[in-house]
Amino acid sequence: MMKLLMMSLALTSMCSAMPPSATDVFAIDEPGDAGFALRVTFTVPDLAATKEVRIERAATKAELAKDANMPWIVVATVDANAGIEGVLVADLPKDESNDGANANQTEAIAFRVATVGIDGEQAAFVESAAVIAKMNPFIMKRLGLAVSVVVTCASVITWILLARAGRPVKLRRIAALDAVDEAIGRATEMGRSVLFVPGIQDMNDIQTVAGITVLGRVARTAAEYDATLVVPTSRSIVMSSARETVQAAHFAAGRPETYKEGNINYITDEQFGYVAYVTGQMVREKPAACFYMGAFYAESLLLAENGNAIGAIQIAGTAEPSQLPFFVAACDYTLIGEEFFAASAYLSGERDQLGSLKGQDLAKAITAVVIIMGCLLATFAAFAPEGIAARASDSFQSFLGG
Amino acid sequence: MLKRTIPILILATSGAILVVAYFSPFTTNWSEVVLMWFNILAAVAYVLGAGNLLAVNLEKVSSRRAGWAYALITLVAFASMLTFGLFKIGGVPSEAHPDVPYAGDYESTQSAFGWVYEYMLSPLTATMFALLAFYVASAAFRAFRAKNLESILLLGTAFIILLAQTAAGMFLTGWIPADSVFAFLRFDSLRIAITEYIQTAGMRAITIGIAIGIAATSLRLILGVDRSYLSKQ
Amino acid sequence: MSVTMNTPTSGNRLLWISLMVFGMVGLSLNAFARKDGMAHGYVEVKEVERVQVTVVQSAGAGAASADAELKWVAPTDPKIASGEYTRVAGVAPRAWTVESLVPAKEAAMMMTARDAGDLTVERVEPSAINTFGIWIAAFLTLGIFSFLYRDNPWYKVAESVLIGVSAAYWMINAFWSTLVPNLFGALAPTLVRAVASPDLPVSSSPNSDFWLAVVPLILGFMLLWRLAPKGGWISIWPIAFIIGTTAGLKLVSGIEADLMAQAVATMQPLVVLNPADSATATASSFSFSAISFWGSIGSVVSVVGVLSVLTYFFFSLEHKGAVGKTARVGVWFLMITFGSAFGLTVMGRITLLAQRFEFLFTDWLNIG
Repeated sequence: MMKLLMMSLALTSMCSAMPPSATDVFAIDEPGDAGFALRVTFTVPDLAATKEVRIERAATKAELAKDANMPWIVVATVDANAGIEGVLVADLPKDESNDGANANQTEAIAFRVATVGIDGEQAAFVESAAVIAKMNPFIMKRLGLAVSVVVTCASVITWILLARAGRPVKLRRIAALDAVDEAIGRATEMGRSVLFVPGIQDMNDIQTVAGITVLGRVARTAAEYDATLVVPTSRSIVMSSARETVQAAHFAAGRPETYKEGNINYITDEQFGYVAYVTGQMVREKPAACFYMGAFYAESLLLAENGNAIGAIQIAGTAEPSQLPFFVAACDYTLIGEEFFAASAYLSGERDQLGSLKGQDLAKAITAVVIIMGCLLATFAAFAPEGIAARASDSFQSFLGG
Repeated sequence: MLKRTIPILILATSGAILVVAYFSPFTTNWSEVVLMWFNILAAVAYVLGAGNLLAVNLEKVSSRRAGWAYALITLVAFASMLTFGLFKIGGVPSEAHPDVPYAGDYESTQSAFGWVYEYMLSPLTATMFALLAFYVASAAFRAFRAKNLESILLLGTAFIILLAQTAAGMFLTGWIPADSVFAFLRFDSLRIAITEYIQTAGMRAITIGIAIGIAATSLRLILGVDRSYLSKQ
Repeated sequence: MSVTMNTPTSGNRLLWISLMVFGMVGLSLNAFARKDGMAHGYVEVKEVERVQVTVVQSAGAGAASADAELKWVAPTDPKIASGEYTRVAGVAPRAWTVESLVPAKEAAMMMTARDAGDLTVERVEPSAINTFGIWIAAFLTLGIFSFLYRDNPWYKVAESVLIGVSAAYWMINAFWSTLVPNLFGALAPTLVRAVASPDLPVSSSPNSDFWLAVVPLILGFMLLWRLAPKGGWISIWPIAFIIGTTAGLKLVSGIEADLMAQAVATMQPLVVLNPADSATATASSFSFSAISFWGSIGSVVSVVGVLSVLTYFFFSLEHKGAVGKTARVGVWFLMITFGSAFGLTVMGRITLLAQRFEFLFTDWLNIG
């Protein structure tokens, strides 16, 4: 009985012939990519008899120089039906010949493909033509991003131009920004200083940049009111930028003589060292108004609670979502996220800047419409996972980078 | 011209170039180059920061202004730490290269720099951080006293989330059967509902707003619409 | 205002002072009265010896370099015995000791083991300088905590130390990890390799690296020109460059990572099907029982939340009428969001406080 079984097994393996070799083996440069990737396509004549497909690529000249015994390098072993869509081979070595002049492409690289039968027997390799993988000038998968950038910018620019052309721009009031003048005025009346904290990040954080533009507006009002404005900074470049900005504000207010460089100082880059200094100064100098405008992390609550304890009017603005709860809980007014970025434009009162805020609204409206469309598509897709709605939903989301 | 037009041009060109550069494989790594430049620039700018720190504190000490002794402490701490780190005082040589004079690790615990980090800087920053436990309590207390709907929502949610993380949450609502109609009232289910649906939605909208705000702020700067950083002189 | 943390009433103050004095006296007595007293610092001591060797080139190696490779290895390295390395004649061996910190409890165990004759355990010694360090750390820790009572000289000392030390710490950090490898390493690689970073990678394009490093150097000088008596306005140029590059980079990355990613994440089906049914459900054979009630509610709530908060952010619409109502819902969503984030943070902050107490009681007072 056992012998019979063995024999029949041996017979089957003898009968299962080697699968037919792959045909139509092509290597194609992937369009719209960052280079160094080729797509290998092939056809497997007998899917049933083929277990998998082995793909190898020719070694480059540099690789051959290192090891002449390895003219072919195994790239992947894939399913038999993967050849229809093709197999993307990325990270191919760059062309090191010609002294780096061809560094943004590969040498011409050939591929060879072999089918492997159910029992593991491999058919003969079929070679493709050798192809160069080139960098393309535009990264195709960022097309959706490019469209979004253009739409967002166009919304803002359109409204800047409309506002310049005289189109009326009406905006709602933002309590936190209405309170800025009042807070500085109160500090002036009380003969106390105004404290401005531009966050703890450097100038390569857009929140710090936004904070500095708000500082420009606050400094101008402070200069007009002749209030003392104190700006401790936690970065050297922020100190330089703050000094430029505050000086500019004093010139703009027509009072360049009241600008005091000594009120804008570097303390330390260390988050908690900086906050130890600022909270210390707060309880000693008792500023009547505290502004926190920029990127904040755990120190937000240390600042805001101490400001509260000394009875200062506190206006905060940040786009750090994790710190918003603490500012909201402990400050009189908080500019939440986008409101913070709008603050400088708002306070400027200039037509084109106010127009740009209207442009932001247009961009938000477009975003909302796109989200609703996406939700509806996804809902239809949920009911028919194989239908056209599902495909539409998928391509819509992947176009947008999902 | 030099003080106004050129900076506006520098800002506009550098900004516009980086926007476009992101979309081409030839230039997409420019952002990394710019980041490296920024880091070097920030490191060079430390001269300004250090100069300012020295100037302010030296002035306080030499004019015997109130609190000059503390300024002196800052100066001594600053100068010693700078010397320790720059010359790697007390540090051990690198095991792979004992013949290269400054190859050792500047932060090794045996060095003076490492000692100051371990026993001064690290406990000081950790304690400042730990103070937050008290401030969180006082902030919650104040929100509790402000009696409007917004603060009730904020504090009530914080309370539920906090309890749901502790044994108290289980103790208070654990008796509600998990498969009953009222199961949603259990603190753990409430927590999931709040964080998964409401908090996620809130954060998403905030983030979307922020992105549009960033884009518009950047655009105002690049287009030269917002020149608040520039002197009119 | 409401919380008077830094302006205690006199009765309040007396309570605080007596509590602190009582606590400190009690704890110190306790610690001094016991045999092992307050905590000590311990270090693990390791002797290191290195000798210089040449790597003997094997005959079959392909690309043999003209210079023989020099290396520093332990004298016990087996490759010396096997002949792969040969000692360089005339170069004296280098020896030094490496001390690394060991927590007190672990140190006690290691010392007992070694005393019992287990030589595989590293040598551990009490260290006066580290014991002193623990005292300094405790002094500074309590100094910071004293701010909770009120601003006082102790806090001011801790604050001054913190500012001085931390400012220098980050400068040194920038010096060794940015300036040396990225600036000096590009301008004068040979010198940097000889003095500080022998492992500095050899660049494939030293010329372009050199010029790429010159740009920030020039910008840096412009920034520093503010210190010069004349022409300080030039520092606005590098600042304009920084603002420009930041604006350009963040414009795109903000839209990609924040706007698009979050918008796509919001695009969920408004009607959620039960997982078991969704596979079989088709538009033709649809039954209401396939819908997950709570899942769908959650999904709708999410989308309504996103849209209502976005409405709140509209600048050009007054918060009146339908817009006002929607914005109001948006504010509720915001407040619940903030409350949730607040609640999730509290435990973390308490943990941090517990760690500081653990340091004071265990590491310093040794009563934990």
